[in-house]
Amino acid sequence: MRDLICIALALPLAAGIITMFFKQKSAIKTVNIFFSLCTSSVLLWLISRIAIEGPFKSGWFYVDALSAILLLVVAILSLTATLFSASYMERELAEEKIKFSALKRYYALLQLFIFTMIGVLVVENLGLMWVGVEATTLASTLLVAFYFNRSALEAAWKYVMVCNVGILFALLGTILLYYTQVAAGSPEEDALSWTALQVISGQLDPMLVKLAFSFILIGYGTKAGIAPMHTWLPDAHSQAPSPISGLLSGALLSCALYAIIRNLVVLQAAVDSAFIHSALLVFGLLSVAIAVPFILIQHDLKRLLAYSSVEHMGIVTVGLGIGTHLALYGAILHILNHAVVKSLLFNLVGFISQQYGSKQIMRIRGLFSVMPTIGTMFMLAILAIVGTPPFSIFLSKFTIVMAAFEAGSPLLGLGLLLLLAGVFAGMLFYTTRMVFGVAPKRLVRMKIGISAMTAGILSIIWIVATGVYLPSGLEQLLDQAATIAMGGR
Amino acid sequence: MQTLAILLLFSAFLLTRVNRLTSAVHILLVQSAMVAAVCAIEGTGSMHMLVAAILTVVIKAGLIPYALLRVVRQLRHEREVNPIIGPNASSVAAAAIIVMIYAIVDRTLPSVVSWDAVAASLALVFIGLMLIITRRQAILQIVGLITMENGLYLLGLSTTHGLPLIIELGIFFDVLVAVSVLVILTYRLKKSFQSTDTSILKKLKG
Repeated sequence: MRDLICIALALPLAAGIITMFFKQKSAIKTVNIFFSLCTSSVLLWLISRIAIEGPFKSGWFYVDALSAILLLVVAILSLTATLFSASYMERELAEEKIKFSALKRYYALLQLFIFTMIGVLVVENLGLMWVGVEATTLASTLLVAFYFNRSALEAAWKYVMVCNVGILFALLGTILLYYTQVAAGSPEEDALSWTALQVISGQLDPMLVKLAFSFILIGYGTKAGIAPMHTWLPDAHSQAPSPISGLLSGALLSCALYAIIRNLVVLQAAVDSAFIHSALLVFGLLSVAIAVPFILIQHDLKRLLAYSSVEHMGIVTVGLGIGTHLALYGAILHILNHAVVKSLLFNLVGFISQQYGSKQIMRIRGLFSVMPTIGTMFMLAILAIVGTPPFSIFLSKFTIVMAAFEAGSPLLGLGLLLLLAGVFAGMLFYTTRMVFGVAPKRLVRMKIGISAMTAGILSIIWIVATGVYLPSGLEQLLDQAATIAMGGR
Repeated sequence: MQTLAILLLFSAFLLTRVNRLTSAVHILLVQSAMVAAVCAIEGTGSMHMLVAAILTVVIKAGLIPYALLRVVRQLRHEREVNPIIGPNASSVAAAAIIVMIYAIVDRTLPSVVSWDAVAASLALVFIGLMLIITRRQAILQIVGLITMENGLYLLGLSTTHGLPLIIELGIFFDVLVAVSVLVILTYRLKKSFQSTDTSILKKLKG
């Protein structure tokens, strides 16, 4: 498995470097799709081996069911992002919005970004994980700033500043945790290894661990877009090229949540978990609540989706805060479902905004008549994201709400449902206005590339299929992941 | 050790007073050199510490100030004109931060070996944070970020003799890349907005 991990890390790096040497745009496109296909296949192979053989540790590498679910997210999203990028960037080049050199830069950074995300998920060390999460910020900053116009620069500056400060707080928390580990007499070669920390968690100084938890939650929470540290998120998501917005929202936020979960496993064993759980519940509910007004009154389509990401990160955090096995199962399943649906939505919106030449909700009318296939997929994906059955997100939202009732906090469940109803109303209100209605005249209908269509249709099939039936292998992995997040093995 | 801690605090204090970008970068350079000195003194004889000290000198007192000074040279007329909290108020605030942190560390961690260094490093972190929040010039925000990072590095050094080497190498690399990215963005800000005053970045809302 060590080889598989190394290959999965090497492939995107190699793709990024090779891209820099090509001179034709078609070659760049083919090479990147080929390499992403390889990366995803290797990741899927790795995941299936984890499912069969269980956790694997070697040196600095460690993978288990929890990392497998997140690796699945990266495997699916990196492939769809490259497929969508092919069509999206072709159009941007044709309209002369970007130059050829920018195309190379785009793909090289995209592959680097994928590399850093895989890196976060395969290390077995809270310190190295920090290095990885920081690297994801740096790789994605220049992608957010990709168009280098005024609003993109503003978004990128806010993104890199807010996330850097946030992540430095996470480092402060990690150093404090290391201090308690050393004070508990752990040898240096076990430094910040979470398997070692879990063993001695009872001997850690609870006061300092609480302090470390606060800094870590604020730090990685900033990266995960949890309110009130979410201020960078709508700007960055709305200004980045659409496939990148999809990756930011689906994969990057998930990786940050993964970092939080890994830290939680260690921390909740060291202090009384009520403190940690109530903090998570407060932040989670706040994220959902803050997103509602911005979704109800919104003028920009990509910002609408960005606030919906804040809401979904809130839902996952609430799931982590409830802390029962069922809730964690729901939360981890929700990470997976949200990632697939939200990245699909961002990618579709990329084409919609190219077709209408605008991201303004007001300007978009009659999607069904202008682009029937994309319009249908968009409608289905919106129905999925607000949590209507039979789509997969319904399942995970339902699980989390049910866990809230089961854990004896009906008020929490009711409050969450009420807020979700608000989101439902806002999203559907704007969507029906965009999907139906009379299309503006003199629209040149654009052709969507075959690669994007394949990616779109495959994503839709995945969303519907996993909503109706979870394959037993995946269900087992989710179950194990929830157990790991509880602090088990 | 105590002298160095006081000198470090003094450098952070000075940073609250400058409004010329070049001076800020020069102060940062001296501050990073002092962090390297602490590293070398703390870990005499240890290979790990020696590597870390050399890297600190090369990256934080060498490459980073060099890159920043190169940008600053192109920003001839840029200076901090209208900070959110003026120099006098921020100096007072910095003093308050230092006193508070000394009091807190005294109360909570009386048994730590290098007590002064822990307090000084935490003070650096929070003064750096204050700089980022209250300054509007892009370069001064970057200086604040590196100050925060210096503080955290010193904290690791003084509580646990540093994190394991591979993690520290990763952090050094991240800091270097972070500064390069920020420098690129600063260039672009100057090109697009004809200014690096970040208070003009207020178009995206809602």
